[in-house]
Amino acid sequence: MIKTERLRKQFGEKVAVCDLDLDIAQGEFFCFLGPNGAGKTTTIKMLTGLMRPSSGQATVGGVDIQHDPVRAKRLLGYVPDHPFLYERLTGREFMQFVAGLYRMKDAVFLQRCDEVLETFEVLHVADQLIESYSHGMRQKLSFASCFLHQPQIVVVDEPWVGLDPKNIREVKTYLRDRTREGLTVFMSTHSLAIAEEVADRVGIIHRGKLLHIGTVDEIKALTSGQSEGLLDSGESGRDQGTLEDVFLELTRQAEEGVALVGDAGSGGGTKYER
Amino acid sequence: MAMQGLVAGRSMSVRSVLGSILWAKQRTALHTLASVRRESKLKVAFVSISAVLFWIGIFQLSRLGFRFLEELTSTTVGTGGLSLSDLIMARMLSVFALVLFAMLVFSNVLVSFSTLYRSREVSFLIISPISTSTFFLGRFYECVTFTSWTSAFLGSPVLLAYGLETSASPVFYLALVTFYLPFVVIPAAIGSIVTITAVRFLAHRRRPIWFGMVGLALTGVFVLFRAQLGLAEVATTPSFQSLVTVLTKVQSPFLPSTWLSQGILDATTGAIGDSLFKLLLLLSNALALVWVATLVAERWFYTGWSSLTGGLGGSLSRRFDVSRVVDRLLRPLPEPTRSLVSKDIKLFWRDPAQWTQFVLFFGIMALYVANLRGARSFAGQESWRALGTLLNLGASMLILASLTTRFVFPLVSLEGRRFWILGLSPVTLRHIVWQKFWLSVATTSFFTVGLAVLSAIQLDLDRITFVLSVAGMIATTVALSGLAVGLGSLYPNFQEDNPARIVSGMGGTLNFLLSMLYIALVAAGQAVVLFWSGVERVLGGGSYAWVVAAAVGWIALVTAITCMLPLHLGLRNLERAEF
Repeated sequence: MIKTERLRKQFGEKVAVCDLDLDIAQGEFFCFLGPNGAGKTTTIKMLTGLMRPSSGQATVGGVDIQHDPVRAKRLLGYVPDHPFLYERLTGREFMQFVAGLYRMKDAVFLQRCDEVLETFEVLHVADQLIESYSHGMRQKLSFASCFLHQPQIVVVDEPWVGLDPKNIREVKTYLRDRTREGLTVFMSTHSLAIAEEVADRVGIIHRGKLLHIGTVDEIKALTSGQSEGLLDSGESGRDQGTLEDVFLELTRQAEEGVALVGDAGSGGGTKYER
Repeated sequence: MAMQGLVAGRSMSVRSVLGSILWAKQRTALHTLASVRRESKLKVAFVSISAVLFWIGIFQLSRLGFRFLEELTSTTVGTGGLSLSDLIMARMLSVFALVLFAMLVFSNVLVSFSTLYRSREVSFLIISPISTSTFFLGRFYECVTFTSWTSAFLGSPVLLAYGLETSASPVFYLALVTFYLPFVVIPAAIGSIVTITAVRFLAHRRRPIWFGMVGLALTGVFVLFRAQLGLAEVATTPSFQSLVTVLTKVQSPFLPSTWLSQGILDATTGAIGDSLFKLLLLLSNALALVWVATLVAERWFYTGWSSLTGGLGGSLSRRFDVSRVVDRLLRPLPEPTRSLVSKDIKLFWRDPAQWTQFVLFFGIMALYVANLRGARSFAGQESWRALGTLLNLGASMLILASLTTRFVFPLVSLEGRRFWILGLSPVTLRHIVWQKFWLSVATTSFFTVGLAVLSAIQLDLDRITFVLSVAGMIATTVALSGLAVGLGSLYPNFQEDNPARIVSGMGGTLNFLLSMLYIALVAAGQAVVLFWSGVERVLGGGSYAWVVAAAVGWIALVTAITCMLPLHLGLRNLERAEF
């Protein structure tokens, strides 16, 4: 459902995303992990059509986002970390507006609107102006508007900001349930515990390069052979650390690898700027 | 609540994509209007009354101006039948339409940049499954609405005065409305085309290239305008004949302003066929330009927007990093003032929407001073000289008022959601407010006092008037900076990041209106001095020094109140506020 081929974004000399190849199947819950500034948001911007790639291709549902953006975006839903909502509209008016953008039929909208508002627990404030909402309520309204048009693919950028533990659990469960119905989820997050819990596959990006991709177990197994003495546990007989341990170890190794390339003065790899 | 939702739900229907965008804008406007109820009643009443008074002021001034022109032309070269004053008045409408057209193009370039590229909803709309043309048309509608209501508010008293002075029939007013609607679309489309093209080709370039292009464009437009209309001739050898020549050139048949003015005049004289032709010219050109603008948007908007947003995350230019110069210049200042000033200047410099407007502002001021040379020709005539001096001061102060309203008033609001950083730091709010005040005085006086000195030299003023003019400008800079920082603290808008939108709120309007009031009070004091100077030369007497002293006292008092009172109230408001 989501495919990128040698997707690249360069800002002057700086390579933000370097020849990224991804292939995410329908119904898959994919978590995109990486430290700050790794290129996660730039990738999301290219996947959602917010940014034009320097080279390469991104397709969603088989549609190239650059060549046929309108058709591709009909399949997409997006929840940003800090959602933009029209402050001077009520929650319900905002939903109506979104329905217009997605050309929804009146009957479908009327049936869906209260349903998703109820699901994300914002129905009781639906007739209040959004400017009076708390951050968590805005985030929940953002989720509700994302699912209004029943997208086939949902891109979520660090969605947990402002949500309380109960809401986090509910959103997690909701996303998980929808993937069983065929929804594809691409989630960028810093929360490794959540990724470990929900992800079918995980991709780790560092300094614009995809370091590893695989199931949580496969990723964990990557460092098992070389982890003795490196991982926090350090216990003999324990092969795999938590995803957090593995993530820290992989990014540390990548960091050192980059430094070595730089020290050796070789130009074989991507040229990074600190 | 569920019941309420159901009731609201029944009346809801989903519109077309463009319809939805426009509907959301209309609902937002209605909710914003409704929110006025939550504002302080005193503030609402003051702003409303001031706006009405401001409108009446423009109306009266325009009426006086038109009457003066009519009397001047009819007494100078009175003729039977169609008098010269009728001809001049007809051409004045063309001049007004041309000025309005130029202003609309200029403001549309600025507004379309913030509406198409800087607004926070742009990302949201781009992710939505709407075509670029639909996106553009939605934003274009916003640009037209925003710029047209402002020009309608400022232009309506002038046109009403014109209609009354020329004893126009009701058809004139009807034609005004009919012609105005297609007319405002043309500069909006031109503004959008210019902006989208400029962003497409300049977004990834370094700042000096932007500067160069903006300066070059401004100079080019001015030189073209001056040469086409023969303004240089009027400036150097002013005569009635050269004035008529300019007024005739203003009526070029290729200008939309001519179609507007002539179309309206044709309608009032009963030449319905000619009028309809000009209306159709406006309509067809408006539609054609919107079509072209949509094509330009489809072709270049996304590429430009992508470069602009990508470029913002890029590194700073090493060759032209003003912040290093700023840090060096600010070294003598003590901390934390240095850090606060440095932060304000860097943020300003790194926001293209801010500094491009600032550059344009001073470009216009420079052109104004360059054109004052022509006013020297009138210097020999006492009455003209006094009037010229007063008008020059008024114009300079008006520029300053626009400047402080646009750039200084939003300073406190722009701290926005980051205000907690300042709030938690070991710096008093008093320090922060005064820092913004002095920063404003220092930066604006650098230009405005220079403008006052240059224009005083150009007008060949005597020593006392020279000193009074420059001192008046310094006082105005202090007063209007205090007013803008004070009101900016009294009515901050911490939710908005766009300075242009912060200014368009209640607080910004109030700031501009109070600035006008202050200018009127100071100008009154200076008018008395100029008037008395003339009286003394004719009648003699020794009261001139007393009049000057009284005027200086008056200006000092008005300045102190205008500066200190808002600063005091603003500071008190911030100290009471919870962040």
